[in-house]
Amino acid sequence: MANNKYDVKDYYCKHTTRCTVEGEKKSKRFVGRNVLKADAEDKVTGEAVYPNDITFEDTLYLKVKRAVHPHAFLKDIDISEAKKVKGVVDIITAEDIPEVRKFGLIIRDQPVLVGIGEKMRYMGDALAVVVAENKEAAIKARDLIKVKVEKLEIITNPFRAMEDDAPDIHPDGNILITHNLDRGDVEAAFAESDIIVEKKYQTQFIDQLPMQNEAGTAFYDEKKGIVNIWAATQWLHDTQADIAQSLRLAKGQVRIIQPTIGGAFGKKEDVSVHIHLAIAAIRTGRPVKFTYTREESMITQSKRHPITIYNKTGVSKDGYLKAWETKFIGDTGAYASSGPAVVHKGMYHATGPYDVANIRGISHAVYTNNTYCGAMRGFGTTQGAFAYESQMDILAEKLEMDPAQFRLQNVYHIGSSTPNGQQLNHSVNAEETIKRVMELSGWKGGQKE
Amino acid sequence: MQITLRVNGEERTLDVTPYTRLLDLIREDLGLTGVKEGCGKGECGACTVIMNGELTASCLVPAPQADGAEILTIEGLAADGKLDPIQESFIEAGAVQCGFCIPGMVLAGKRLLDENPNPNEEDVRYGLSGNICRCTGYAKIIDAVMMAADKLKVEGSVNNGE
Amino acid sequence: MKKYGRGLATIMFGFGYGEGFPDHSIASIEIKEDERIVIRTAAADVGQGVITTVIQIAAEILRIKPDYFEVIQGDTHTTKNSGSTSATRQTYFTGNAVKKAAENLLANIYHYGSLEFRSNHPEINVEDGKIYMYDDPDNYITYWDLARTLDQNGKKLEAEGSFFPVTYKPDQEGQADKVYVAYTFLSQVIEVEVDTDTGMIDLLNVYTAIDLGKAINPKNVEGQIEGGTVQGLGMGMMEEQVIQDGITLNPDMSDYLVPTSVDIPKFKHYLVEDEDSEGPFGAKGVGEPTLIAAAPALANAVYDAVGIRFFELPLSPSRVKKALQEKAAEDE
Repeated sequence: MANNKYDVKDYYCKHTTRCTVEGEKKSKRFVGRNVLKADAEDKVTGEAVYPNDITFEDTLYLKVKRAVHPHAFLKDIDISEAKKVKGVVDIITAEDIPEVRKFGLIIRDQPVLVGIGEKMRYMGDALAVVVAENKEAAIKARDLIKVKVEKLEIITNPFRAMEDDAPDIHPDGNILITHNLDRGDVEAAFAESDIIVEKKYQTQFIDQLPMQNEAGTAFYDEKKGIVNIWAATQWLHDTQADIAQSLRLAKGQVRIIQPTIGGAFGKKEDVSVHIHLAIAAIRTGRPVKFTYTREESMITQSKRHPITIYNKTGVSKDGYLKAWETKFIGDTGAYASSGPAVVHKGMYHATGPYDVANIRGISHAVYTNNTYCGAMRGFGTTQGAFAYESQMDILAEKLEMDPAQFRLQNVYHIGSSTPNGQQLNHSVNAEETIKRVMELSGWKGGQKE
Repeated sequence: MQITLRVNGEERTLDVTPYTRLLDLIREDLGLTGVKEGCGKGECGACTVIMNGELTASCLVPAPQADGAEILTIEGLAADGKLDPIQESFIEAGAVQCGFCIPGMVLAGKRLLDENPNPNEEDVRYGLSGNICRCTGYAKIIDAVMMAADKLKVEGSVNNGE
Repeated sequence: MKKYGRGLATIMFGFGYGEGFPDHSIASIEIKEDERIVIRTAAADVGQGVITTVIQIAAEILRIKPDYFEVIQGDTHTTKNSGSTSATRQTYFTGNAVKKAAENLLANIYHYGSLEFRSNHPEINVEDGKIYMYDDPDNYITYWDLARTLDQNGKKLEAEGSFFPVTYKPDQEGQADKVYVAYTFLSQVIEVEVDTDTGMIDLLNVYTAIDLGKAINPKNVEGQIEGGTVQGLGMGMMEEQVIQDGITLNPDMSDYLVPTSVDIPKFKHYLVEDEDSEGPFGAKGVGEPTLIAAAPALANAVYDAVGIRFFELPLSPSRVKKALQEKAAEDE
């Protein structure tokens, strides 16, 4: 239909004419060359379309009323005043969508809207969706929603969460998941070690802080029975599946069209605007747009896990790693997100790229009432590296060895085995990276230049 | 109320409220979505425009203040479909990743070179310090501005017949 | 007083989902009659450059300039699952899927081309989008000619490829033969100056050597190293979302600080390329590994400079200053 004002369009960058080989226009080889980025021209001219740049005629604007307490039962929600605001089209609470199911990346534990008698578990939980003709009306109405709660103890850290008398944040308890590592004979190896270093490390909450906040537009094509969503995700088909199961739609009824993505770094693996947009679009029959503020993005969407890491490392006096014992306690916040995979991935990398025949470890990802933690670049191993590389320098100093030499004599080669018992048979050049970085930086022995 | 301003060389008259942000006027009323919003508090530089010759965080400017102003957005930089040398340089230096900061970054670079055609690296770092980029670590963005300075010198000498 | 220090960190990162989790990517390539080559993948380009990476791979295999390619990258209804842009996996997984699709397409070009030329594959050459007999290069047909010919017969000049390597779920003791598809290694030396009066850390130089198998696009790899390192330095020096009693105290960019252009160090890189991985052209993933060494290398550099070991991040000026004061008090 030529005059369909809700035309379903793609918006990905498609200027590829500039994707040429720098300085080698006649080259017939393209791999290993500095081919210019295909999407760069769209991005330097402002033509690239990001999720927040898509607006249809008759677009409605969506805002979400979020939790008023980090851990509380919702006792009552009063939308009567909010409904009176001029321009408000729809206010959706949990009782309007009884059929909608929870969502989540690995474990579906996040409510789309918290219902009366249910718990809010962190400040980002959604209590109501407001849809209005303009942003101002949506904000005004959102702020007029009145909420009564019964407050519960706020669990602020995983150590409190693991105590027997701590209230359960989720029905199955506060320890989301536990993993173990056990390889070799750790006791015997510590007994044979000449030097043992035992330290505790702590990392912090980090926001991935992609420059583009979560945003999107949705429109329900009633004739086809398809809800179209223009929003960012790091995994198109996984987000589609999660939305579909939550809304009890067939996968084919959920179409996500990915515009240009303004950074992610792990933060856009989780559902953000998507389900609220889809519900509002289906209910109103009009295009709906939802853009997080930076504040909303930081409070609501995933963080890098703060992890408490205990490392106990034994070495022989000639500087060979003998034994390593480790414990990772990760604060996974209010919901699972990528938490079931992050903390133990850190533990699996607990010894870094170094040969240690005897290792034992345990990791827990633990629920708290903090903003939920999920994926961020490095996925648990970043936290782990701070601990193992600090540990390596402490050991080198005790051994009176140059830190680079100490690493060189313990680093993996072809044939080495990881803490998981995976034998490395291809492409293991850790040693060369140390030698090359020594060359680059003028690192000679233990002496400063 | 009504205001009149010149955006990318074109005079525009628009109805605004006292609370309309210049950013929303540019993006929503004028449809120039190359201007981005990253923080809404003037901290990140994604909403940068050049207003009356100065780098301006358009999220902090009430639209009425722009009455009579001359505004350049990223959309106004390429002339007759030909990219500005600084845009070319961003592409060639590999300075573009997600691209969300890039419109503001490019304008900050242009403003810097307008004022100082021979910047050293330190000048460039300071000139871009109001614009946050989360992808690139800035190194290639700094390269791009230095490259653009060289290009403009060559272009200038060609134009002067030197 | 400013004190110089340098620190080293070496890291490893097993990429892909691993642990037996189904991890794969599907891509397709079609040569269109209107002189475009369309790659379809659901791989999200979040800025890292997977669009360009897959174009380079396909262009190399199909022996035609990158200029002809268009990537349809993000529509659930026109692309098949490519897995997520996470776990440092797209170059390896979608790169391999596109490479296989391109190889299958090249095979189809030879197949249909040999029908046109009534000859066998070894007698035919393909170069710059032209198909011809080795002994008669002037008498060629183009990819577009071939696509049109096929179109007349209701066929498309296209192919699909996928990559689906096996990994295993570790047992109760965390043991398995293959937990991750491959590992990327990186070493980094960071040089700093610590201002003992203010606790401020000045970043001087960052030297990086990365074992990445093969750089499909060296400049884009440098961009990953620089961007990842600066994020890691942000974690090391300044970034922290402060959540107290469940409430974020700094939910904005005024109080959540990240590095700016004046904070960053100078970079030097070395790419270790052994082309020995099972990734496309031997490539391994680089996205996440580029961030991981920065915070520990920084902490080690600060120790080298002022003799204080920090066990908690970030090394913010206030934390460093407090530790310096405590150390001065102890030393007295």
